[in-house]
Amino acid sequence: MGKPRVAIFDFACCEGCQLQIANLDEDLLNLIELVEPVEWREAMSEKAGQIDVAIVEGSITRAEDEQRLKEIRQRAEILMALGSCATHGGVNKLRNRVPLEEAQRIVYGASAGMPHLQSGQVKAVHEVVPVDLKIYGCPIEITEFSRIIRELAAGRTPFVPNYPVCVECKLRENVCRYEYNEICLGPVTRAGCNARCPSNGMWCFGCRGPVDHPNINAAYDVMAKYGKTVEDLVGKLELFCSGEERIRG
Amino acid sequence: MSVYKLNMEQLRNWVGRLIAERPVYGVRQKDERFVFGRLKKPEELRLDYDVTILPPKKYILPTRENLLAYQPGEHYESLWADEPFVLLGVHPYDFVAIRQLDLLFEREKPDEHYLRRRRAATIIVADVERASDNVFAGCVGTAVVKDAFDGLLTRVEDGYLLEVRGEKGEWLASLLESPSPANAAELSRRNDVWENNRRRLRKHELKVPPEQLGDLLRRSVDHPLWEEKARLCYSCGSCNLVCPTCYCFDVRDESDWSLDKGVRYRVWDGCLLEDFAMVAGGHNFRPTRAARYRHRYYRKGLYVPEMIGELACVGCGRCITACTAGIANPVEVYNRLQEEPHEDDAAE
Amino acid sequence: MRTMLQSEEQTLEDIYRPRPATVVRVEDMTRTEKLFELELDSGEPLGHMPGQFVEVSLAGIGEAPISISSSPTRGRRFELVVRRVGSLTRALHHLKPGDKVGIRGPFGTWFPVDTDLRGRDVIFICGGIGLVPVRSAIQYVVDNRTDYGHVFILFGARTPADRLFTDEYEQWCSPGEVTFLETVDKRDARWTGAEGVITTLIPCIRFDPARTVAVICGPPVMYRFVIVGLKERGMAEENIFVSLERRMKCGVGKCGHCQINHIYVCQKGPVFRLSEITDLEEAL
Repeated sequence: MGKPRVAIFDFACCEGCQLQIANLDEDLLNLIELVEPVEWREAMSEKAGQIDVAIVEGSITRAEDEQRLKEIRQRAEILMALGSCATHGGVNKLRNRVPLEEAQRIVYGASAGMPHLQSGQVKAVHEVVPVDLKIYGCPIEITEFSRIIRELAAGRTPFVPNYPVCVECKLRENVCRYEYNEICLGPVTRAGCNARCPSNGMWCFGCRGPVDHPNINAAYDVMAKYGKTVEDLVGKLELFCSGEERIRG
Repeated sequence: MSVYKLNMEQLRNWVGRLIAERPVYGVRQKDERFVFGRLKKPEELRLDYDVTILPPKKYILPTRENLLAYQPGEHYESLWADEPFVLLGVHPYDFVAIRQLDLLFEREKPDEHYLRRRRAATIIVADVERASDNVFAGCVGTAVVKDAFDGLLTRVEDGYLLEVRGEKGEWLASLLESPSPANAAELSRRNDVWENNRRRLRKHELKVPPEQLGDLLRRSVDHPLWEEKARLCYSCGSCNLVCPTCYCFDVRDESDWSLDKGVRYRVWDGCLLEDFAMVAGGHNFRPTRAARYRHRYYRKGLYVPEMIGELACVGCGRCITACTAGIANPVEVYNRLQEEPHEDDAAE
Repeated sequence: MRTMLQSEEQTLEDIYRPRPATVVRVEDMTRTEKLFELELDSGEPLGHMPGQFVEVSLAGIGEAPISISSSPTRGRRFELVVRRVGSLTRALHHLKPGDKVGIRGPFGTWFPVDTDLRGRDVIFICGGIGLVPVRSAIQYVVDNRTDYGHVFILFGARTPADRLFTDEYEQWCSPGEVTFLETVDKRDARWTGAEGVITTLIPCIRFDPARTVAVICGPPVMYRFVIVGLKERGMAEENIFVSLERRMKCGVGKCGHCQINHIYVCQKGPVFRLSEITDLEEAL
């Protein structure tokens, strides 16, 4: 069996997750011992045909992007969504909260009518094509990405936590952000980042999206305990997961 | 039994010599809270702490501990850690918790990974100087410990008393410069500290006598409290992770880039986490928040006591502080089970 | 970190360290199950009793608890039947003769073949891969046939294609005084046998509950119904044994994952006398 042929594709995003892969430095050499990169706009010019693993970064915002994504899906054995924009629609999805014309006017002003700026509702990758595996985060955690690649190459189902960030935060002995009177999304957000933000003095922004069954009702009740309102919480929740119906409680 | 009197300078010098001899893990400040960490110099030590975020068990049952190294061909080699170290400033309730873990890891099939770290540890207990917001050690008999430690530090006015026990204690005493024995008045003041701690480390008052807790729980399986509390449970496992007597773990493999070499390690796990009782294939044997929430209180009050004969809650109060939703107070839970007997249970 | 050999005070074995074993034979059973015949590299027998399990390890993938499906009466090799449900079992399915696995165990309790079952009539009731651990006891009974009374084997599979050990039924019955009945939940075009859930087989057998012992193993949903069926026929809970699956992870009563109420299944189970667990709210 040859090395799996892997291609990386980007859609609407900052390309920061791809950049994380490029930032692997020496481990990039280890990575290409395991897989054969066959298409990666950010790092190579070749184009491939059939591929084993398609890594898709970014959210889907235009009809032609949906078409391109469907073609990628057809070429790929496994499709992996990379980063918050791909797994949840990410920050881009905030745009879905206002009418399209208004969003275009706010962002592009007088140029809003230009044809190349036309785009539709923002979608996560799984809203367009079936996704086999999601790598969460904004940006992704490169150590987690590396581990997942190794686990896939070894033929096992990658370990992706279904517990909240609190687990990792406690193990790092951080002072709970609620003790600083902040709203932290750690209790409802999927771990795997090793509690990066709380360990660096910020609350959890929820970039990895919710665990499978977040207790949003609890989150709403807890707001009162800390003198906050549900609106305060919703504002935080919507940054990364505005498209997730289930977090609306 | 030998008890020495140390003034503050003697204490500082003694801690300095400990640090020179072995890794010393003591209490340090972290932001507005306290944690156990490696001491580089005596000045970092804060024996006046209230409670640490994680209990000192993390040096005996590390949050992540490599158990085995594997090589191609299913070749496994045990990885041991037995470098001697000192745990300095362990509060009595946390020491009781470590003694419980000793029993649990020794019983039936001894866990040599745990036991080697434990044997390597020299544990210096420190009587509580400042009560934390939620401590209730006084209600569960863990405010004071009288034996099994290697050293015991107690603050008395202008300094500390140090009691040493056993071989490791002798080693601790050997590092004292010009040791002077404590006098009767000082020993009497130490008794006052103990009396006082038994009385004041009761920020919550447990109304159920610990020995009756098991029967109370046997009657309370269907109590509505479990649902009521669990409705607010995030299943975040914070109560498990900060608990000095929790010891459940998960075991995972992580290979290096060669894919066939790596380590098998264990990490702390928690019975409150959603997937804790999930088996391959996806069946979850404890699928509801209420069942998971209840399990924790049964472990502390009934299941582990059946194994070791002691209440498995040492009254540190960490879970009460750590629970964002404010539902993890064992004292409130146990008191309410007693005060509000469930109708069905009462009818039996 | 120092290795075990360099340590002066090596006093106890490492309960987490697997023993190497070699795959001797692999046999396809169904679409999702394969049988592996294994031998410890040390040459020792596994030393198990019917109903016990081992933790099977593949470095880099992990461990999974697997029931031992062969009887210790069949020599020093042992057999495991593995359903492909997760990473470890999927990886096991790729193994070929000569490949290595790690083995810890045997762990847990066993079917009381030398005590409660001996001298009595025995009913084995198995649903699906519940037949896997029970086959070990069936072989044990067949190999010591005169020690037991009449043997009933009731087996229910989802479909005819999910039946296990089909080429062995004849051998199980050959010593005589064995009643073998099977059913499938859903028949196919070629199936001429019974169709229906396993409980429908219980009224088909005649036994004296006073001198009969029952052994049940199957998917979680099966137990309640089968137990009701047996009790209706007058069986006492003391004479019913069940094998319960949980998330046995460490196998040595430490990690906590397999707990049913206060019981560590890897220590006090997987085989329980029904009367010992009826009070356990989380058991069945």
